[in-house]
Parts: sequence; structure tokens; C-alpha cells
Amino acid sequence: MNFQTSAAHEEFRAKVRAFAEAEVKPVAFMLDQENRFPDEIVQKMGELGIMGLPYEKEYGGAGSDVLSYAIAVEELSRIDGGVGVILSAHTSLGTYPIAAYGTEEQKRKYLPDLCSGKKYGAFGLTEPNAGSDAGGTETIAVDMGDHYLLNGEKIFITNGGKADVYVVFTVTTPGIGTKGISALIVEKGWEGFTFEPHYDKMGIRSSQTCQLNFNDVKVPKENLLGKEGMGFKIAMSTLDGGRIGIASQALGIAQGAYEEAVAYAKERMQFGRPIATQQGVAFKIADMATKLDCARMLIYRAAEMKQAHVPYGKEAAMAKLYASDIALEVVNDALQIHGGSGFMKGMAVERHYRDAKITTIYEGTNEIQRVVISGAILGKMKKGGGGAKAAAPAAAAAAVGETGPRKKIILKGGDPKEMVDKLVDALKKDGFDFTVGIPIDTPIVAAERVISAGQGIGERENMKLIEDAARSLGAAIGSSRPVAETLQYVPLNRYVGMSGQKFKGNLYVACGISGAVQHLKGIKDASIIVAINTNPNAKIFKNCDYGIVGDLKVILPLLTKALDTGDKKPAPPMVKMKRSVPAPAPVPRKLGVCLGCGFEYDPNVGDATAEIAPGTPFKSLPQGWVCPHCGEPLSNFIEIEV
Amino acid sequence: MYNYRKVTDDLYWVGANDRRLALFENIHPLYHGVSYNAYVLLDKKTVLIDTADWAVGRQFIENVIGVLDGRSLDVLVINHVEPDHAATLEEILLRWPKVKIITTQKAVTILKQFAFPLDIDKIDIVNEGDTRSFGKHTFAFVKAEMVHWPEAMVSFDVTNGALFSADAFGTFKSLDGKLFSDEFDFRGEWIDEARRYLTNIVGKYGPPVQHLLKKAAGLDIKYICPLHGPVWRDPMDIAYIMDKYQHWSTYEPEEKGVMIVFGSMYGHTENAAEILASKLADRGVTNTRIYDVSSTNVSYLISDVFKYSHLVLACVTYNLGIFPPMKDFIHDMQALNVQNRTVAVMENGSWAIRSGSLIREELAKMKRMKVLEDGVTFASSIQNQNVPDLDALADAIANDLKK
Repeated sequence: MNFQTSAAHEEFRAKVRAFAEAEVKPVAFMLDQENRFPDEIVQKMGELGIMGLPYEKEYGGAGSDVLSYAIAVEELSRIDGGVGVILSAHTSLGTYPIAAYGTEEQKRKYLPDLCSGKKYGAFGLTEPNAGSDAGGTETIAVDMGDHYLLNGEKIFITNGGKADVYVVFTVTTPGIGTKGISALIVEKGWEGFTFEPHYDKMGIRSSQTCQLNFNDVKVPKENLLGKEGMGFKIAMSTLDGGRIGIASQALGIAQGAYEEAVAYAKERMQFGRPIATQQGVAFKIADMATKLDCARMLIYRAAEMKQAHVPYGKEAAMAKLYASDIALEVVNDALQIHGGSGFMKGMAVERHYRDAKITTIYEGTNEIQRVVISGAILGKMKKGGGGAKAAAPAAAAAAVGETGPRKKIILKGGDPKEMVDKLVDALKKDGFDFTVGIPIDTPIVAAERVISAGQGIGERENMKLIEDAARSLGAAIGSSRPVAETLQYVPLNRYVGMSGQKFKGNLYVACGISGAVQHLKGIKDASIIVAINTNPNAKIFKNCDYGIVGDLKVILPLLTKALDTGDKKPAPPMVKMKRSVPAPAPVPRKLGVCLGCGFEYDPNVGDATAEIAPGTPFKSLPQGWVCPHCGEPLSNFIEIEV
Repeated sequence: MYNYRKVTDDLYWVGANDRRLALFENIHPLYHGVSYNAYVLLDKKTVLIDTADWAVGRQFIENVIGVLDGRSLDVLVINHVEPDHAATLEEILLRWPKVKIITTQKAVTILKQFAFPLDIDKIDIVNEGDTRSFGKHTFAFVKAEMVHWPEAMVSFDVTNGALFSADAFGTFKSLDGKLFSDEFDFRGEWIDEARRYLTNIVGKYGPPVQHLLKKAAGLDIKYICPLHGPVWRDPMDIAYIMDKYQHWSTYEPEEKGVMIVFGSMYGHTENAAEILASKLADRGVTNTRIYDVSSTNVSYLISDVFKYSHLVLACVTYNLGIFPPMKDFIHDMQALNVQNRTVAVMENGSWAIRSGSLIREELAKMKRMKVLEDGVTFASSIQNQNVPDLDALADAIANDLKK
């Protein structure tokens, strides 16, 4: 047994490394600083022939192998983890499902362009309520005969907005969990398929990541990948392979940081000699190299197993888990060796340090990797408690959004002025006095009313609309995080959310805010939430009391006019309004009352002593079932409704 | 000396009063005693319907002997075996060994558990709808399972319309020489004790009571002869008590009104309860009661919960939980199946205020309870900043009462 890659593989590595050194390295810092996707570099990757490495030549692939693909990701990531993940997401997430599960037509249609790099691929699985748990998927595709009507949203999508072809996971049969999920191929440019501005991330900033919105997108039936209900299986098998890519990315990032550290340790003089001669540093380097080798062995093994078509899910998970865990250790040590210099922007190690973190999170958090690995070892073990018991609260939780019970009165498609008037009437009925107001710069935490701008506000000049509306509403101005942090339309201390200011007042008006979970957590104590957004599927509408689906440029001036009462009188001290959401009416149910002891059989509870699952109606109790307390037969029960 | 009273032709009350018992069932306080009722029918056969508690055994036996006036006892109908009615059974068997017992199968099982020396040859087990004739009078037997014991039945004299209703339609308080509801100010002086008896003893068993009431609806009842309290013969009185039972067994409030129960350690939560009551009165809501949960026996609280439509629980936080007497009260409400009430919660605490949210969790376990979103949370004592919340709560309750 010779644990060496072949000469051909090393030759290939040299080719990719040369490309990365020549093309990526000079611009890596700039891409990171400017949060910019390197269009030209990716185009050249296509010319280099690495965009379809493990796929058959017949469909335009390189006809190479999984190991070559892993080496390519590793080498790109060694210079820039962002560029590495562009290739990884394109190859193993965007292209693989089509290559593995596509029909001949689908393969002919999509693979040549993907493999040549003419088009880029992406993978849409994660949602606000579905990540590690794909069973929470809420994106839904309704069968319309010759096509599906797709609605929903996907978050944190690598290559989002840049990719041309998306494999999107969606519910086609609701209510049956992961068995109702299917995979659809969706193309950029189709009507109703839109993108949010890409995220401002901690690391891998040269890759583009964004939210996908599907609003009545028509997906032809022929774009169903595999069969209906196969989506979960496709997603899981895709992620198995994707883990080799992410492991390679983690390895490359760590390798890059390690090499920087070795070079620096040899150069940096302290106490009259290179710090590398200090055992404290030298041992760090020894540990880093050992970890890198270990990770590399695990990754290459998984790649070879995949290539050989033997089951490799556990091995891929081990590789991803280990490579990303040690990547964090290696970049940390590498930065430590750099001392204060490593903490400075412009130092590659500073960028590697930030780039590494995501690798323990995406394509299955490392906690999920441990679930996969232990599951492979221990098999499926019976969990305690009834399945139905666990499902009920989950379903109930899904019905109530992040901001708790809300009225969710959404106005859509009507005359804008009528919709605004209806909203104003409703707010007045709720007790808001718009003749009084607070200064627009009132601290968010002390404000009774806040109107916030999200990225949907568009150009900076549109903030004028928010300011005018704020004065009319008598409200302070807030924003979503990107509006304060990235667009810088308002000071940083005015963004509302989990990491920002929390709003606890009475009225919150969210304008052009899609409703990311982190934002919603900041407004859950608001008495009334109003949402204005062009996207009817925006999460904010599931978390508001009143919503208007419409353009801010139309709605806000109308709102401003409707509430304009001239100069507002100073508001009296805030009286917190109670939320007036009617408690959900209890669903009547039939109980069985035992005339032998008074025990009440409740279908919500079932009867664990007789293995009667919760959810079993009284009428459906089996013959021979007796009262668990006194043994009275079913015939001596009376049925009541409560 | 015997002391019996005639109910109607051939039928006599042979029960007795007990004023020495402090706690009924050793749990519910009695302030004016209780009667144990039993009845004798003088027909071709002599029939004793139920017996009495051992505490009044001597008086009861004297009464039976007095009514029989030298005749022997032929039949004993046992509607309910709970010891406050069946304890003197053995004494009857010793005095009249030939007596035939008519009862249910389950009653026999339980009587054996209580170690009564029953001769199986002298037991006539009856089922739902069975009849037995004693000469002029014929009895029909109807099961009254889980009102509040499983063996119970009621007996109906189809000849004169007398319903021997076991514990149903019973009442606390001694009879003091009178017998019929129309001999008392029942609606004024007695109804609270009737309610306290029924709700605490049988409150949990609304559905079985309903089941029995539906069966009894077809009977032409002229007399209701319960095992405690007065006999009912006035048709208006019978309609009155039937209506009350209808409310209690369906958990419908009798009155629109607010019962405020506070658990207060040093009077600050009590103060909040008082302020709320004043604010309610300001809003015209005057059918209100305030109770201190620490010093009010829970049987009275349960009784009023069955009476009023609205309940306010004002409670201090104690050991990070609900103040124990309040917890007991809530537990009793749950045990007695209290439902269909509108509840508001006020919570107090001096550091970690938790009682309100915990009370809400408990209320959520109960059936058909509407818990008002409005509530008051205050730290240690009511301050100016809490007043708007108190006003809002008073508004919410007053508005809800108008519904």
C-alpha cells in the first residue's frame, strides 16, 4: 500500500496551483475587501477545464475523477477559500444531482454548459426553518398539470444570483415530511425567480451567497429531477459528495495558512533568531502538518471510494468533520505564529482565519456530520416516546411565526390608496393616536413606534420616503442590518434584530424587509407589526399583523399623506399595548368517560399502557381495549365532546 | 327515642343528623353538620332504602324499629355503598337476618371489600331497568355509575313517583327537625351548601351526571329523596335544583360575576386584588368576591368557581413557583374538572416573577378555559407604573362580562 497520489494527480495539482498563484492570489485581498465575485477568474476556470472534472466526457465533462476534483478545490482554497467554494458548489452541488439523477434529456440539456463553465450551478436546500432538518422545508411546488407552481424562499445559497442552473428542493406533497420533498431544476431568469442582494459574510467573501425567492415560478414538469418524493434522497446523496468538496476547501484554506505561518516563522526574528527555532512555534508547526496530512488522507480516501462507487457517506462525513475542525485549529495557530501582523487586514492568514469558519457549518454542520457517522456505526435506534407526540408541537410551532401569534391580515392586489386607508383605519381602531409622535432619532429600545427600512428600499434617495413616513407616523427610524451595515443609510445603532437593537414598543412598520429570522427576533415583542413588501412570499408577511403587498415608492407616500397631521404633538409616556390576537379556538374533540372510575380517554394523549398512540380517536379504540385504571370494557364508556 | 318523619303515604324518613363531624369525608369542613338520610317503605313487604353512618347508628336503628312498629324488615335496597350510608349494614343484618338485599353487582364487590358478612343467597342483584314489586309499590332501578362512585344506582318508585337519588341532590347541613325543601329558605340559606357539596364531591363527574339526568328526564318525579339534606316535593323546587344540576354538570356558570382569589404573603398582592375589585366596581361590575387563598378552605373556593363566570388569580411567586395554597387550589380545580371559565392572572414577585406564567401553563391544561391576554405583572407592590395595566385588566374583564 502506497499512500501517495499518482504522478498524474500531482501534475494536475501543479497546474491548478499555478493558475491559483497567477490569477487568484494577486486579487484575493481585493475580492475579500470588496465582497466581489471574481467573474473573470471563474470564466478562466472553465477554460482551464476544471468546471466538470468528475463528469463523463460524453456530457462535456473532463472525464477525470473525484480525487482530481478534490485537489482542484484544495488548491484554489489554498489561495482563496471563496474561489474554492465556487468550484465546490458548482461541481458537487449544482451539477452532481443532474449528472446522477437527470434523465437523458436533462443531462443533454444542462451538463455540457455546466461542465464547460459556460453556466454555473447551485443548490437550493436551506430555508429559514429547514437546514440540518430538511423535514422543515416550506418551499412548495403545486402540480398544475404541465408544470409546477413554485413558491417559497431559500437562504444562504452559494453561487446564488451568479449561477444559471439551480437544483431546488421543494415540498410537492405536504404533510408527510421528507417523503414529500422533490427536486426541481430551476433556471435563472424565469419569471418570479428573484434574488436578494448577496450577504455580507465574515469570510469566503469572494463567493456570492444570497437568498432565492420563488413567487409563482412556473417550472415545467420535465424539470423534475428523479421522481416526486425523491428529493430528500437526492439532497442527502448530493451532500455526501459535497462534503468531499468542503473538506477539500477546509484543507486548502488550512494548508494556505500553514504555509504562510511556516514562511513567517522562518523570517520573523525575535531574541536574535527566527521564531521557528523556538520550540513553542516549531511544535505548533509539527502539529499543524500532522493534522493536515491526516485530513488529506481522509479526504482522498473518501474521494477514491466515491470514484469506486462503494458506499462512502460515513467516510465523506469523517473527512468533512475532521478537515474543517482541524482547519480552525490550524488557521488559529497560523495566525498566532504571525503575532500582531496576522491580525492586520491584507495578511493572507487573516483572511484564511475568517474563511475557515464556515467549513464547520455548511453542507451539514459538524454536529450533523457526527449524527451521520454515529448513525452509520450504530444504525437506526428506536427513539423513546411516540412519533405522533413529537410531531404535534412541531406542527403547532410552524403555524406560529418567529414573532408569535399575529393577525396576518395581508392586503394584496387592491388599489394602493384603498389598501393604505384600510391599514390606517385598522391602526386607529387598535388605538394609535397619530396626532402625537416621537422624534425620529428616539433610541429604538425607547421608541413607541418605529418604521424600518430593509434592502427593498433600494437607492439611498428613497430613504427620504422613510423619513417622511416616520414624521407622519410619529415614529423613529430603524433599519434591517444590511441597510445600516452594508448600505450605511442609517447609523449602525439603528438596525433592529437579534444582534442589533430590540424593539419593544407598540408599532413596528417594516418596509422592504424580507424578514430574516435574526431580524424577526428583534421585533417579537412589538405589539403590532406592519409589513410593506413587493414579495408576497416574504417571511415578514407570516410574522406581521397587517401587510401590504406593494411597492414602497407607491405605498409610503400614500401612508405619509394619510397620516399627515402637521406637526405632531409630543407623545405621552408610552403605554404598552397588548397584543390582541385571538387565542386559537380549541378544536372540539371527543373523549370517552369511563363509568367504572371516571377516567377520561383523551385522543390527544392516547393510552401508553396499551400502546394506543396519541391521535387515536375514541371511536377507533380496538375491541378488547379496557380502561387503563379500572379495567372497565369499552362498552361501559360514554362519549362526550369538549 | 325514635325520631322519624313521614314523606308521603307508606314512606318514612328514618335518617339522623350529625353535628359533631368536623370534616365531611375527612376533608370538607362542615359548619352546621350534615344529615344521613334513609327511608322505610311500609308495603306488603317492608323496605329499607339505604342505611346511615356509624356515628348516628343508634338513632337510625331506633327510627327503623319505630317505623316498623313490630313488623320485620323484608328488603334492604342499597343504592350507594359509601360508608356514610352503608356503615350500619351489619347492624341491620344482625337484627333482621332474613332481610333480602337488592343492589348492583359492583356494590356487592365493594361491600365485600369493606368486609361486610354478606350471604350471597340473600342478595338480589339488579341491572339497569329491572323492577321489583313490594305489594302496592314497584321500584325500577337505574344505574348511576360514577355519580361519584361506580356502583351507585338510583331507585324509582313508579307507584308514587319517589326517586331515591343516592348522593345526587344531596346537601350539607343538618335538617333540624324539618325535612322538605319547602320547609327551608332553600334558595337563600341552603343553596351555597348544596353547591359546595355537589361541586366538591361530584364536580369531576359532570358527564356521568348528565348521563343520569338524561335517563331521569323520562321519569315523572314527584319526590326526590337524597341521602343528605332535604327531600324535594315542590315542583318549583324540583325544577330549581334540576336547573342547578344542569349548570354544574355541564360546567356552565350560574351567574356572571367575578371571583378574585389572591395568594399574598404580606398584603401587597391582596392590595392588587382590592384595587382591581375597586376598578371593576367603578366600571359597574359589582357581582364580585375576594377570597384569601391561604385562609379560605378550598371547598368554598371550588364552590364559587362553579358559580361565577369569571375568575381572577392574583398570586405571589414562592420558591420560584406558584404560592403553595394557590397551587393547591389550581390542582383542586383540575382534579374536579373545572372548565369553561374566563380567567385573568395577576402575578407578583420580588426578584424572579414566575407565578403568572406558571399559572397560565396550568390553566392551559384545563378544558375550555379562556385566559385573558391582559394581566398584571408587578414587582413586590403595586406602583404607579402598574396602574395602566390594572385599568386595562379591569376594562378587559368588564368588557368580557358584557359578552
